[in-house]
Amino acid sequence: MISPAALELVLAEEGGRQRLYSPALGLLTLARAQGEVLVEGEECGVLLVLGRALALRVPAGALGRIDNAPPERLRAPIGFGELVYELGALGAGLARAGAAPELAQTASGLVLRSPQTGRFYHRSSPKDPPFAKAGDLLREGTPVGLIEVMKTFTHVTHRAAGGLPPSARFLRYLVADGADVKNGQPLLELERA
Amino acid sequence: MVPRAGGCYPSPRMFKRILIANRGEVALRIARTARALGIQTVGVCSSAERGASWLRHFDEHVCLGGPAPRESYLRPDAIVQAALQTGASAIHPGWGFLAENPRFAALCAQHGITFVGPSAALMTKMGLKSPAKAAMKAAGLPVIPGSDGLLESAEEAQKLADAIGYPVIVKADAGGGGRGMRLVREASALREAYASASAEAAAAFGNGALYLEKYLSGGRHIEVQILADRYGRALHLFERECSIQRNHQKLIEESPSPALSPKEREELGAMSARAAAAIGYTNAGTIEYLKSAEGPLYFMEMNTRLQVEHPVTEMLTGLDIVKLQLEIAANEPLRIAQGDVKSSGHAIECRINAEDPSNEFRPAPGVLKSFAIPFDRGPGNVRVETYLEAGDEIPPYYDSLIAKVIAHGNTREEAIATMLRTLGESKVEGVPTTIPLHLAVLASAEFRDGKYDTRTIPGWKSAARA
Repeated sequence: MISPAALELVLAEEGGRQRLYSPALGLLTLARAQGEVLVEGEECGVLLVLGRALALRVPAGALGRIDNAPPERLRAPIGFGELVYELGALGAGLARAGAAPELAQTASGLVLRSPQTGRFYHRSSPKDPPFAKAGDLLREGTPVGLIEVMKTFTHVTHRAAGGLPPSARFLRYLVADGADVKNGQPLLELERA
Repeated sequence: MVPRAGGCYPSPRMFKRILIANRGEVALRIARTARALGIQTVGVCSSAERGASWLRHFDEHVCLGGPAPRESYLRPDAIVQAALQTGASAIHPGWGFLAENPRFAALCAQHGITFVGPSAALMTKMGLKSPAKAAMKAAGLPVIPGSDGLLESAEEAQKLADAIGYPVIVKADAGGGGRGMRLVREASALREAYASASAEAAAAFGNGALYLEKYLSGGRHIEVQILADRYGRALHLFERECSIQRNHQKLIEESPSPALSPKEREELGAMSARAAAAIGYTNAGTIEYLKSAEGPLYFMEMNTRLQVEHPVTEMLTGLDIVKLQLEIAANEPLRIAQGDVKSSGHAIECRINAEDPSNEFRPAPGVLKSFAIPFDRGPGNVRVETYLEAGDEIPPYYDSLIAKVIAHGNTREEAIATMLRTLGESKVEGVPTTIPLHLAVLASAEFRDGKYDTRTIPGWKSAARA
């Protein structure tokens, strides 16, 4: 029997986070580093089993920035079902890592980026509900948040610009309510409606 | 040299770290001896047993794969890789799973890992029925009358069966589990049985080869424990009788066998040790015999591994078979001579399974609410082998054995009395067990008289009615 030369990591959503577990026992080599973004379908390491190299792939549905410290050494022993990567939401990782916003472009999903540098709010006042919730349909001009720049509040709206379609479905916020954001930083994740 | 834990002087050749390719009770049994020898242990588990209490008995453990045995404990590649990446230089397979798989033994050798057992070539020979029978016949053991090797045709089968007399049985060479096997009571039925057994074997095992032997019903199952080193020395550690069975599953084993005289015991042991040396056997093994109702003993098969019931022999002889296995695997010569092996007193083992005796022995996985087997009730000594404690869950993926209780006394009566007290005062709650069956058998007059065979479970039917 010929085994496939590639194996998919096992994805589990736990407590709102995505975790990727090893699908087999072996020696993990060429693991990706903390802070890098993983997108479904790409290779994210090599597992050596009895001298045979199996490519590890990111499974469908996984997307995010590596938030844990994967083994850096070559040939790190790992068991079946052991945690390899823990993925944080793309925006949150960005702010912490202080990385350039362009990195988020490697994500296959659609993202709505901040038009300015400032503080971003999910709601118009602390008592109000968020502007958008998962599954909402966003059209041209639909407000999705507030941005505070020098004590001035401006609505952030959905616009068919920067590669976004005229209408899209809201998936989730990528930054926390009240987070400091930079110009061009991804604020929301969207999918085509 | 400084003695390590257990007071043993470690040999410079002894392994520093071994992987135990098994689960549960046998894995713990092996780990106990390894620790006494100062060897570090690596355990393995499936994802269903992650966090199980028994895993803390190893220095470290790794998860092999999913819950089903074929995803974890039956995966040679994962196990050998686990040994390589944990730095273990030998693998002890225990029993079941891959213990008698020659490809697994060969894979270990290929990757420079010592397999604690005989060579892959010997396992292959003993794993197929007709080569095993031919080898043992050549080594001087009595075999059941029948074909020398495989049958060429139905005509050959007919001629042979007419010569040895009916009933006869045709069996698949690669057989197991009763498939590819036909009982033939008269000459007219042979041709049909030959064709259907061959077709069934071809479909089930990819090998339609058949052999034929005289059919012996009932009889007693008696086996001899063998040890052989890599320098041509083979010893026997006397026999065990395992005739109390249900559906070919052993329930109670004892030694000495009530069916053998002291002279017959000595002769059977010596003959078995000679045969093991003649076939070039190494490590621990067991030669199984059928003692027919008419009297003579016949070779049945050889198990090329540690047996579940090995503690019976250890209680009688004071030897640690797992220790000897590891020493032989580490190229040590046997330091005991046949004359040093003494069998003293009588030992009985009862297998406690999580099965419901009142409901056709249906397996009953579940949570053990309480689990206490006393070992101080006397008059003899008791040894309990288990991997479970109260509060543990018995997983549904593996076999139902939850504990083995071994009682040793100066006489058979004393061993039976000790076992009755021990099991009678055991507290196992949460799952049904086979303890009621054992109590009924041990209390029966037939068992006390030593009059039983593989077809009967003395005391059980009457107890069920009562």
